[in-house]
Amino acid sequence: MRAYQDMVFSTAARLAGNDAQAEDIAQDVFIKAYENFEQLRTDPAAGGWLKTVATNLSLNYLTRYRRRWRLFSEESSVPEIAVPDAIVSDLSADQRQALIEEALRRLPPHQRVPLVLYHFEDYSYQDIALRLGVSLAKIKTDIARARAAMLPMLQSQGIEEAGE
Amino acid sequence: MSDRLESAVDRALRAAPLRRAPASLEERVLREIGRRAQLPWWRQSFSRWPRLARAGFTVTCGSIVAAVLAATGPWAQGGVWAAAGAWSAGGALSLPWARSVLTLVDAAREFEAALVRAVPPDWLYGAMAAGAVLYAALFGLGAAAYRTLYLDSHSAGDPQS
Repeated sequence: MRAYQDMVFSTAARLAGNDAQAEDIAQDVFIKAYENFEQLRTDPAAGGWLKTVATNLSLNYLTRYRRRWRLFSEESSVPEIAVPDAIVSDLSADQRQALIEEALRRLPPHQRVPLVLYHFEDYSYQDIALRLGVSLAKIKTDIARARAAMLPMLQSQGIEEAGE
Repeated sequence: MSDRLESAVDRALRAAPLRRAPASLEERVLREIGRRAQLPWWRQSFSRWPRLARAGFTVTCGSIVAAVLAATGPWAQGGVWAAAGAWSAGGALSLPWARSVLTLVDAAREFEAALVRAVPPDWLYGAMAAGAVLYAALFGLGAAAYRTLYLDSHSAGDPQS
């Protein structure tokens, strides 16, 4: 469990955007792993299994708790992501990580989830649209808006070409 | 620009190290596993039931499904009251408890008929409309509360939101 807990927690936290929920999800993932322990103990792909279960449980959580509010909570405007005044080189690795995680967390769920699935989980646009049950065009729009929202954070890290 | 932005975001996100799981996670998982192990077998997941119990449960459920399917004919033809009548006429009421059930069904049927006769249709439509309005009002209130209490705290950076 120790070998995989950071990976499972990271997956859940980035998708759910909420550390408390991510911990609940991670707990469920490891309990499922315990129930399938005999199968997993010799499986070299146990890490992939855990990541898939973490992704699925996170998406289930989001679907269960947020579908009914989607109509009210989706906002078309791009959220402004706060960027510290510090110069890039002044930021430590921890600070950079915190900045990225904060930027992700501040995205609305309908932008954050497809962005995370695309860039962290290697889903294609089609797979994301299928998994989330929304149109391909909306997925592309949401991901594009999420990237645009992250632009100030990228520029603060000195990734100049992002803004060109 | 969009391609450059995509690759820049991709690089930045992939370079981000994993989040460190809370120190409490392992203890929580072990505690939950221990709690579940203490549960009696019938409260554990179906896959952990004894083989005999699983077989018995499957047979019982199959029998119930078969009985429901068998009863579908009279239900579809004449509704619930006709089904009860057919059940009675078919000799299924030789048992005392079954006769009691039929008595209750008859009483419910008479009550329903009296209610339909006594209450003007306009009242029923009015009640349904009032129910729909109340549902919509509660839904709107819940949505407003969600936006106010949840989304506002989320945008303010509250980690618990």
